[in-house]
Amino acid sequence: MKTLSLKNLRKTYFDPYAGSQVTAVHDVSLDVEQGEFVSVVGPSGCGKTTILNMIAGFIPYTGDEILIDGNLVKGPGPDRGVVFQSFALFPWKTVLENVGFGPKMRGVPKDERDRTAREYLALAGLSHAADRYPNELSGGMQQRVGVVRALANNPAVLLMDEPFASVDAQTRMTLQEELTRIWQERKPTVIFITHDVAEAVFLANRVVVLSKGRVLDQIKVDLPRPRVWDHLIEDETFKRLSAQVLQMVRAA
Amino acid sequence: MNIALRFWSGYVRTTHRWPIIATIVPFIPVVAIWSIVANSGMFPRAFFPAPVDVMRSFISLTYKGILPDYLQDSLIRLLFGATIGVALGIPLGILIGSSRLAHRICWPVLLFFQAIGDIAWLPILLIWFGFGLTTMTFVIVYTVLFPIVLSTVLGVQSVHRDLARAAQSLGASPMRVLWEVTLPGALPNIITGLRNGLGYGWRALIAVEIIVGTSGIGFMMFDARRAGSTVEILLGMIVLGTLWYIVDAWILAPIERATGQRWGLVTS
Amino acid sequence: MLVAPGQKVRSRVAWRGMNSLVGAALFVAPLLVLVAIWAIVVPLFNVNPRIFPSVGSVAEAAVAAIGDGSLIRHIGASMLRVGLGTFLGVLVAVPLGIAMGVSPAVSAFLTPLFRFFSVLAGIAWIPIATLWFGYGFGAIIFVIFNAVFFVVAYNTLLGVSTIPMTIRNAAASLGAGRWALLTEVLLPGALPNIVTGVRTGLGFAWRGLIAAEMIATNVGLGYMLFVARDFYRTEVIVLGMIVIGVLWLFIDRLLLVPLERATIERWGLVRRT
Repeated sequence: MKTLSLKNLRKTYFDPYAGSQVTAVHDVSLDVEQGEFVSVVGPSGCGKTTILNMIAGFIPYTGDEILIDGNLVKGPGPDRGVVFQSFALFPWKTVLENVGFGPKMRGVPKDERDRTAREYLALAGLSHAADRYPNELSGGMQQRVGVVRALANNPAVLLMDEPFASVDAQTRMTLQEELTRIWQERKPTVIFITHDVAEAVFLANRVVVLSKGRVLDQIKVDLPRPRVWDHLIEDETFKRLSAQVLQMVRAA
Repeated sequence: MNIALRFWSGYVRTTHRWPIIATIVPFIPVVAIWSIVANSGMFPRAFFPAPVDVMRSFISLTYKGILPDYLQDSLIRLLFGATIGVALGIPLGILIGSSRLAHRICWPVLLFFQAIGDIAWLPILLIWFGFGLTTMTFVIVYTVLFPIVLSTVLGVQSVHRDLARAAQSLGASPMRVLWEVTLPGALPNIITGLRNGLGYGWRALIAVEIIVGTSGIGFMMFDARRAGSTVEILLGMIVLGTLWYIVDAWILAPIERATGQRWGLVTS
Repeated sequence: MLVAPGQKVRSRVAWRGMNSLVGAALFVAPLLVLVAIWAIVVPLFNVNPRIFPSVGSVAEAAVAAIGDGSLIRHIGASMLRVGLGTFLGVLVAVPLGIAMGVSPAVSAFLTPLFRFFSVLAGIAWIPIATLWFGYGFGAIIFVIFNAVFFVVAYNTLLGVSTIPMTIRNAAASLGAGRWALLTEVLLPGALPNIVTGVRTGLGFAWRGLIAAEMIATNVGLGYMLFVARDFYRTEVIVLGMIVIGVLWLFIDRLLLVPLERATIERWGLVRRT
């Protein structure tokens, strides 16, 4: 079953400085099955974040349609959970309140949403930080909160916009491994935007390569799970796939 | 739609080129509304004059030389008081900021005297010095001094200890550390303090000119109030607002930004 | 929120109590030293009481002013004016500031306007306020109201427009509607700026109050000072100054600063004085 379907998605916007229309995305079509993990890679300026923002409903789109479980996208909504590069945690809410925000918006009573939030915090190994404020956590911990906050809302699709780009290299690897583990446990549908080729291949079932607002190619990733860096770093298939994607991105 | 877009595009590009326009344009509807309300006869004209009346009075007072003279008086008083305030405030702030003991002793005293507020000093100053320049200068110095001292202290304390250590290990004497490290490090805060201080300072000046006044913009406004001339009061307010806007937005704020952002220090 | 075992909480509260007690003592000590110096210097140099009063005469003035109820009346009048003016100012300014700050284009357009008026806020309005409302309560309330209103509205506008778009997007994608966006994101996000605005605005309002009371009324702390001047009663003037200082210190340090700290520092937003 298709969870997400993009049909001839386009984006043109008016640049007041240039005084003309600029096209950022040309006719992108993409189908994502339920429980699939799709990475979208491409050099900066290839339109990948624009696409994600359109799916999320943050910016209006042009083109045919975006469907989530068969429903047309109109503006942001809880069926699409978003994980931001800048974390975008509410600084004035504790970690627990941040994670419980989605359920709160649905009108879930406090006891129940606290229970849900704690359960998801435990999933990310964050139970001890429930009553802290985001500002008091490290970048890696903040992004863990960002991920479970989106998950706790039970979205049909999880949209991740270069979520690990602003944490240090070691933490990034840990977070990537944790994400694959959580994905295996919960099987959410994920669109993962990144410019890091190895990251894209490591996480995904399918890698979509984007260039200048167009889909260049798609590559299936049939690596076994659970995926751990210690094994994959030496793995021939992983190396071959990464090299293949890298070549496409660099040629783009 | 297309014309609107083109118009907007033109506006964005012009304001990008000349940012002053973005500052002036928002005032056009305000002046227009003011003009319409004043001309509608909703309020008596003497009570609520139109922009044209204020403009006329601006021209006539400028022509007679009253406005320039008063403005000059006010500015000289403010500048004089502010200079003394800065000259006293920065050394005092550095002293208090760099010594824990001095900080412990002086901080409460500073806060208390700041809390009394410039204007509350006026009655006793009038007894001490009478109606005159000394009283005015005292009030302005007093007003400007505290924000500068307080933010200099904060600035000195915010300079990372490692910076001073780095300078020392590179062979700087204590005086050089003060000059090369502490002072530049505290500069963004000092300028914030100066900005706040002047903001309070010119308000104090207006109050003093109203109460003590023999000349100056504040005096002009209150004299006009006694004569019931709303036009001149509004003129005074507009002159003050414009003048201070220019000083604050085009001189003080850019300096503050230049030091604070350029160096990547967090101030505000 | 922070639920810890009872014992731990109690000891933490006790520790904090001790800490603030020591802090208060350290704060008051230098001021007491200052009073001591005053008590020694005035009789030592035989200062003319018309120039500067002795500690004793100020204390006597305080007892007298408390005894006949005039001090309470003046304080009451001043506090009522400040309280009412500030309340009205904040009440109008915050919703307006948030409404204006929601759209980046609108807030960019309105910023110069509010900046201009917040520059004028306070004392500069005294002449026209007394003309419009006559000498008295109305004019003073108006001066305080606009001192608070423009500064708070400008800061609220600024606060809302500095909330990162991603945070607003995050709330929307988690299912927040308009009302939830307002109460859960815009209001708390702008709160540090609002508090700073109230602090600055009250600073202007307080000075405006004292000035306006000297000019435009027959009751209040400013009036008390100004009338005492006519009779060269320096002890009443100094008493009034001390009362003004202590009152403001209480308002600022016990109300505004802790509020500012609670929001700004806890949430990791910009630190201030």
